[in-house]
Amino acid sequence: MPHLAARPNVHPGAMKNLSFFENIKLYVGFTEASSAVLREIHPLASPSFGAIIDDFYAAIEAHPGASQAITGGQAQIERLKQTLLRWIDKLLVGPHDEDYYQLRARIGRMHVRIGLPQVYMFTAMDRIRVNLLDVVRKQLANDAARLEPAAKALNQIMDLELAIMLETYREDLETKHRNAERLATIGQFAASIGHELRNPLGVVESSLYLVRQHLGENADAPSVKKHLDRIGSEVHRANKTIHDLLDLARNKPPQKRSTSVRELVDSAAEAALLPSAVSLHTEVAADLTAHLDPDQVRQILANLFTNAAQALKGRGQIWVEGAPSPDGGVSVRVRDDGPGIPEEDRKRAFEALYTTKAKGSGLGLALCRRIMEAHGGTIELEPGPGGASFLLVFPGAGPA
Amino acid sequence: MKRVLVVDDNQDLAENIAEILSLRGFVATVATSAEEALPMALPEGPELLVTDFRLPDMTGAELVQQVRRHRQAVRAIVISAYTDDGTVAAAKDAGADFLPKPVDVGALSRLLTAA
Repeated sequence: MPHLAARPNVHPGAMKNLSFFENIKLYVGFTEASSAVLREIHPLASPSFGAIIDDFYAAIEAHPGASQAITGGQAQIERLKQTLLRWIDKLLVGPHDEDYYQLRARIGRMHVRIGLPQVYMFTAMDRIRVNLLDVVRKQLANDAARLEPAAKALNQIMDLELAIMLETYREDLETKHRNAERLATIGQFAASIGHELRNPLGVVESSLYLVRQHLGENADAPSVKKHLDRIGSEVHRANKTIHDLLDLARNKPPQKRSTSVRELVDSAAEAALLPSAVSLHTEVAADLTAHLDPDQVRQILANLFTNAAQALKGRGQIWVEGAPSPDGGVSVRVRDDGPGIPEEDRKRAFEALYTTKAKGSGLGLALCRRIMEAHGGTIELEPGPGGASFLLVFPGAGPA
Repeated sequence: MKRVLVVDDNQDLAENIAEILSLRGFVATVATSAEEALPMALPEGPELLVTDFRLPDMTGAELVQQVRRHRQAVRAIVISAYTDDGTVAAAKDAGADFLPKPVDVGALSRLLTAA
């Protein structure tokens, strides 16, 4: 299938309407019989799971590059060991169906999200393969008839796992690539269109000012004022869209300095002009500082506050929680008690030009992410029911 | 009364800025190119100059420099929708102040009055 390599967006089974998982199973020859073999060797191998897991994490802890993805210390490692135990358990027990694939893919995406380099994912998976095979070989040393199919099924399921993991990394790359392409396209158009639009808007704006001057008191007549105000606010909105667009296109490097997070939140709240029935609760220690560009990050916070206020339809609560993170950085959570962001919009929420608002430009969150990335940090929409919750993570100031 | 020359190739915008400045007590005239502006910027011409950066025949910064040959003390403000560092620096190098478009009329008249 040499042509498949050139078409990375189409998985090989797409032509036969097979799912990704069904197709990969077909390719490695994994069948119901393979599943049955794995279930059979589970009781033989399970007493050794503990040793395999300890070996797995000992290798990670001993390696500076691999252990970087683990920031929560020993407690986190203990939790991860439990997760790995369940992972190996299910590896053999199955059932190896579509739900299995979805679960494995979610675990894969988690690795992508915490920034585990692909090389470590790859070699770590191989470590488990080698150790499991080793255990099975020892257990079935005197049962050649069972050993061969057992080793084969183990190799197949590990091939499948690796394919799933690689697929999640590919998904991530594709999303990043698509976003970068969109931004580059926007950048080219933004500069020319944005500037071109500023002149006619400038004429409208200055003419509006002059009309108001010439009308004097007549400008306050309700039937006139309503329309003058509309022209004014729509011109203002258009100017803001252009401003955001040009900001996004410009991609200015952040001017980082030590900044009081509480003061930053306060000034962002001021800039967001929150309606009076929206209350903002700031839970940030007065002495919490972060290494960031205050102007750019104020823009992020103000954007999130404005979004929240809109989702709350002008009435509700917004919470801002700030906390130091173990690596010397700072995390800031902005959440509200609004309706939240529907599942189908979550994935695309940070894409430029993607919006669900009737009057949205689709630039706000894209700009937020662009700024966070320039800071070496992350912004994510946290899963869970209830209102929207955004988590910003800023890295520490120290040498990376 | 202070006299101000407003130069912008968008004639509507130039006229609007001139009209707003008139309402604020300036005597304002309008040009839509450097070629048109230069003869008006004589030694006894307006003491204030507001010019767009991207004119059809030269940049606003170049216009400021040429005007200064005849009228050294002219107070100049360059306005532009392009707010990149290069544009702002070119305006400053020519000895002009810079204001982004859309022009904040309050800021503009403050700068002109301070002259």
